[in-house]
Amino acid sequence: MSGATLRTGIGLRAIHHEEVIARSPDVGWFEAHSENYFGRGGMPRRYLAQVRERYPVSLHGVGLSMGSTDPLDEIHLGEVVQLAREIEPLFVSEHLSWGSAGGRFTNDLLPLPHTEEALQHMVDRVSQVQDAIGRPMLIENVSSYVQFTHSQIDEWEFLAALAQKSGCYLLLDVNNVYVSAMNHGFDPLRFLNGIPRDSVREMHLAGHSVHRIGEREIRIDTHDGPVCDEVWALYAAALERFGSVPTLIEWDSCIPSLDELAAEARKADQRQEPLHARAA
Amino acid sequence: MPALRELQLEFTAALFNEPCASVNSWIREDGIPAAERVDLYRNNLREGFIKALAVGFPVIERLTGTDYFRQLAREFQQQHPSRAGNLHHIGEPFAPFLRARFAGSQYEYFADVAALEWAHQCALIAPDAQALTADAFSGVAAADYENLVFDLHPACRFVDASCPVVRIWRANQPETQSDELIDLAAAADKVLVLRTSECVEFHRLPAARFALLSALASGARLGVALEHAQLLEGEFDPGDALRQLLELNLLVGLRVSAPST
Repeated sequence: MSGATLRTGIGLRAIHHEEVIARSPDVGWFEAHSENYFGRGGMPRRYLAQVRERYPVSLHGVGLSMGSTDPLDEIHLGEVVQLAREIEPLFVSEHLSWGSAGGRFTNDLLPLPHTEEALQHMVDRVSQVQDAIGRPMLIENVSSYVQFTHSQIDEWEFLAALAQKSGCYLLLDVNNVYVSAMNHGFDPLRFLNGIPRDSVREMHLAGHSVHRIGEREIRIDTHDGPVCDEVWALYAAALERFGSVPTLIEWDSCIPSLDELAAEARKADQRQEPLHARAA
Repeated sequence: MPALRELQLEFTAALFNEPCASVNSWIREDGIPAAERVDLYRNNLREGFIKALAVGFPVIERLTGTDYFRQLAREFQQQHPSRAGNLHHIGEPFAPFLRARFAGSQYEYFADVAALEWAHQCALIAPDAQALTADAFSGVAAADYENLVFDLHPACRFVDASCPVVRIWRANQPETQSDELIDLAAAADKVLVLRTSECVEFHRLPAARFALLSALASGARLGVALEHAQLLEGEFDPGDALRQLLELNLLVGLRVSAPST
């Protein structure tokens, strides 16, 4: 695919806006949280346009609450459509999750039960968003701390079916695969092997934290530190299966300097090099 | 097996601390009690809200201290939970909340500071607009001036404080090293908030000029706005105030409204 040689990108955060424009750091691309740039102008939007003049940019939504059974927020969707029209992003992505019900918003990425009902609901929602933005979108797997007793489908099968039925692609968050695998006791390689090779168009890497509840460990998706060794190892396995797809370092809490973020991105580039050498 | 709708309504209620016994029975425990698993998401809901509020109101956080800010944010969230997927809006009722919370106390000024920080947030993201020049007035007949109605720049906001709020704001910026003692009873600031191409600015206005411009911003005719200003300053002349609107690129629309009968 065309993005195959794109070097690893980093998330665009408000505290780095001016520095990114002044210094053009040595990273492949930027991912912007769509909601941070809503509106019809203003300063954040101007920064985003300036970053876009220098780099490819993807729009990553965190608030559309696609899996919610409340009606899709047409105003929110309209903002995404307008932003995508202006920015001409590399990708438009959202999550396999819900965050609101009955008009109350948790502004979190809550997991869905993996049922036929939820699958059909997500297929309908993805179709609705894709019709609005006029292009296929990417859907990301989330970290989860609960599993529902009535789930009938494995998460990877759910994602594969969603991609197949809706025509969307997947944003494989390697950290989220690892976190959920450890929390729920499945083999993360089973997850990777359950995802069709040609459906993954982007990967995320991030840090997470480990908490104890009684005798049990639980991993929380905190995005507040470097990528751990186990997730790097899983990333290597993902590269083997899915090839060299655009990769992003997500580090949006306890945010380090641009240089540190660029250094973390280079670690991902280094892991892609053997694939490029093989292809050459 | 709950329908998806039922699961989402009940799970949301549980996160907002309402009793809903059924949720725990739908969750696989696997070594960790369901209630503790739900608590992880309850914690996310609380911490995410506090963090987003702190991003919008850094001066309030600095004035209250982190621990007390967290307590205030939790009380505020209980009264005003998020109503949209975009968190920007959550700060809108914060100043009125603080006004009610600290009415009659020495912390009444928190509400003014929050109103200024909210105006700052709104000014940052308001739409762009093309400013008019003095030529816009060239075709206006003298008799029509009192019926002029103005559109001010969408980033323009007015904050009518009861304390020297701009000094408080400036003394509490991260780059400011200040042990300045600010007398809360000193002259109250009437603030025009606007956005230049570079940043958001605060302009302290004399009371009569503030009365004129804030009345114009809310859609009053020039004649009516002038009456507001002249209540405060009998000989008030609007010429300087209108020139300031033009110089600050705040005037984006102008029309003669039909006189009221």
